[in-house]
Amino acid sequence: MTKRYVLVHDENKCIGCQACNVACRSENNVPESVTRIQVRIEGPYGNFPHLHFKYNRVSCEQCENAPCVKVCPTGAAYVNDDGIVSINEKKCVGCLYCVAACPYKVRFINPETRVPDKCDFCKETRLARGEEPACVTVCPTQALVFGDANDMSSEVRKVLDTKPHYQQKVNLGTEPRVYRIPSRKGGIKA
Amino acid sequence: MKLDRRTFIKGAGAGTATCALATLPGSLAAFGDSKLQGSAESVASICEMCSTRCPISARVVNGKNVSILGNKKAEDFGGAVCARGGAGHSQLYDKQRIVKPLKRVGERGEGNWQEIEWDEAYALIAQNLNKIKAEHGAESIAFSSKSGSLSGHLFHLAKSFGSPNTFTHASTCPGAYVVAAKAMFGGKLKRDISHSKYIINFGHNLYEGINMAETRGMMDAQMEKGAKLVVFEPRFSIVADKADEWYAIKPGTDTAVALAICHVLIEDDLYDKAFVAQYVSGFDEFAKEVKAYTPEWAESISDVPAEDIRRITHEYAAAAPHAMVDFGHRSTFTTEEFEMRRALYAANVLIGNIERKGGLYFGKKAASYNKFAGETVAPTLAKPGVDGMPKIDAKRIDMVDEQYAMMWSSGGIYQTILDATLEAVPYQLRAWVMSRTNPMQTMTDRARIVKTLQKLDFVVACDIYISESAAYADIFLPESTYLERDEEIADLSTKNPAYYVRQRVVETIGDTKPSWLIWKELATKLGQGQFFPWENMETLQLFQVQRDFDLLSKIKQDGYVSYGKPLLLRERGMVRDFVNTYPNAKAVDEDGTYASQLSFKTPTGKIELSSAKVEKMAPGRGVIRYREVTMKKADELFFIQGKVAVHTNAGTQNVPMLANLMSDNAVWIHPITADLLKISNGDKIKIYNDTGSEEGHALVTPGIRPDTVFAYMGCGSKNKELARATGKGVHCGNLLPHVTSPVTGMNLHTTGVKIAKI
Repeated sequence: MTKRYVLVHDENKCIGCQACNVACRSENNVPESVTRIQVRIEGPYGNFPHLHFKYNRVSCEQCENAPCVKVCPTGAAYVNDDGIVSINEKKCVGCLYCVAACPYKVRFINPETRVPDKCDFCKETRLARGEEPACVTVCPTQALVFGDANDMSSEVRKVLDTKPHYQQKVNLGTEPRVYRIPSRKGGIKA
Repeated sequence: MKLDRRTFIKGAGAGTATCALATLPGSLAAFGDSKLQGSAESVASICEMCSTRCPISARVVNGKNVSILGNKKAEDFGGAVCARGGAGHSQLYDKQRIVKPLKRVGERGEGNWQEIEWDEAYALIAQNLNKIKAEHGAESIAFSSKSGSLSGHLFHLAKSFGSPNTFTHASTCPGAYVVAAKAMFGGKLKRDISHSKYIINFGHNLYEGINMAETRGMMDAQMEKGAKLVVFEPRFSIVADKADEWYAIKPGTDTAVALAICHVLIEDDLYDKAFVAQYVSGFDEFAKEVKAYTPEWAESISDVPAEDIRRITHEYAAAAPHAMVDFGHRSTFTTEEFEMRRALYAANVLIGNIERKGGLYFGKKAASYNKFAGETVAPTLAKPGVDGMPKIDAKRIDMVDEQYAMMWSSGGIYQTILDATLEAVPYQLRAWVMSRTNPMQTMTDRARIVKTLQKLDFVVACDIYISESAAYADIFLPESTYLERDEEIADLSTKNPAYYVRQRVVETIGDTKPSWLIWKELATKLGQGQFFPWENMETLQLFQVQRDFDLLSKIKQDGYVSYGKPLLLRERGMVRDFVNTYPNAKAVDEDGTYASQLSFKTPTGKIELSSAKVEKMAPGRGVIRYREVTMKKADELFFIQGKVAVHTNAGTQNVPMLANLMSDNAVWIHPITADLLKISNGDKIKIYNDTGSEEGHALVTPGIRPDTVFAYMGCGSKNKELARATGKGVHCGNLLPHVTSPVTGMNLHTTGVKIAKI
């Protein structure tokens, strides 16, 4: 694997504004009834007036050890050379195993294509043109950092090396490639 | 296009969501599907999904979508765009959008429309307006528009027609801070948030009411540069969440805390004496007045602990001058809005942060910047003048009380349209021409607006959708969206001059027109064509750049062009850079700054902490003073509203993508209050008072004071044409009484309500 694309979501900088959600829809033609990415503003937690929100990015975690890939009977779900969990539409038989297997509940059936769908870091569109994923590009507060973690000079590498971060449900051994910088006000609710 | 059976079926088949409204004449659904024609290359333009107007870059993708991103050339905006901006295409080809002129058939507001041609629309408007003018004078017709890019064209029409009665949305939104700044500084100030080290914020919710440059600037200051943010706000908003300290201040008491901050700055000798001596007039009167406003006094009014006010003020002063009290945009409203904004400004003046990094400053437009540089660093734009514009003798309808004088030229007092129509004060209004404005949502006392619109002889509305207000029009004029329009070059100067321009990205859909063209064509029909001599937008743009084709092409190509280096007159390093860059620059003062050049367009030429001019306009208000206000009855809860990141006030609730993100506004209630009222999360509730009654549902959350309830504004529309927004959530304007704030003329947005489970 030459590249290892990862995403860092800084929960301190995220304001839950949904700019990422809208940009993703436009860029990837995501139908209204389903979502590749959204940020859920959860809470407030704590006791008045010591409160805090949790900004929970919900999208494909791009697992290194992806359950959706393991259960796919035809090889339609696969991990690309760059680490992006991908879908080969031609091989998909619509068995829904991958949707059921995803422990993060982020796979869905696209109502228009009838094929499982999810975030692919804009692999076919923006990445292919040498641009960053749509959510990263539009984020008003620069809460997202994307890049190749194998590139020692990349910003994403620098962020991972210098800032405390966590991943969701690491106990499952899926090794997600979406990293989160916890809000300094809130606890981690992985 | 005629609405026959075939087009109806075609429209109805276009999407399931549009079925209910496929019969709405003039809608894009009735017009039928068409491929988007437009540039596949990115076009630099300007967003219009809110008033901030961020620079964008947009292109048509495969003839069926428009990709909208921020314009990277505008550095402060960072190439970013918010959810509303990114959803611009969803408004563009929304099937419920109106793309054909409409004529009302049936009762006003009943919702029966008939498609007509533009010529017929113009003829009907000209006939009615000219008749009213002949019988009652042109001044009996009011013209209102959301302020911004094309409002000038409507107001130009009003003036050429002979009516002084032009209004923007100022008195329902940003008027107060503008008027207060005018009174104290003689003009508007800007915030240098990104360099601020300490920010005190009274509910200016920049993380939900997104202004891209300021929102980014504040996050950058907080997260990258370690600035401290203190927020006073009754609700736990996103900005409160991101704050280092949040105080759930009692609604309507911001003035008390702001004045207590001023008290501590003066009494504890923390203020900038040199600055005050050089630039401030009326300090002694102010100091005498604030002597009584101790933090302990403020605590008893606002519920903010005195020791915290004192500590925060000391921290704030320690960070001076690179610190600010954000003067806000539209926070808690009381009748003492003028005093509140002045108190907030005063807290800035006392630490001397004017024209300093992280403080407040005046925008540096080309003319003044060039004078400092001693050369033409940035081109200046010309304004077209028109000869022979009629002189208007009639007075504006809001010119009845001298205390509002500063508001007359700053957008006017919008709600006086209702007074003049219903009570003939100071004279009878007969007609209303409105453009891209939705007072039915943004103004108070909805029932009174309905009465007004029903009483008028003639109503014209120009908009994209049949908004709640446009629903009461006699003639509806469909405006092209911003993605289909070219406009004049606009000034976006901050610490250095900058220009940008709106350009069309897609060819016009349906039979719509940009409003500048609508008003020009209507003027011709009214017999005022000679006052609109420009042929098209290109003519106007060329006039602006004085036929400098290279300049125009550069602005159009880049979309955003900035000139020179950022300059703050009292910031030594910036002045040094400036002088080193421009050899003919104005000589600097002994201290290496341009401090002596800083002047204020007030009667004294100084910052007027106390003002004889204001005293004359509004007796008793020369000195900033705290006055007690009654916002609610004893057995009521405070009712406040605010902004959410995915909607713009009253303008985007029907945009499909945004309606899908949020179509409803739950009423925030504290668990203790909810418990007393036996209300659980999600319960259907009635929220009511003497003004009106609304039904909605409860969001039980600790993120609100127990004596206060909150709702995001703009929901709960009541006309069937806005199919996605109608009947969803609480209509705030239906609960707010009609009250106008002294001096600023602001339409008040805080009141008391009762709540009951249904």
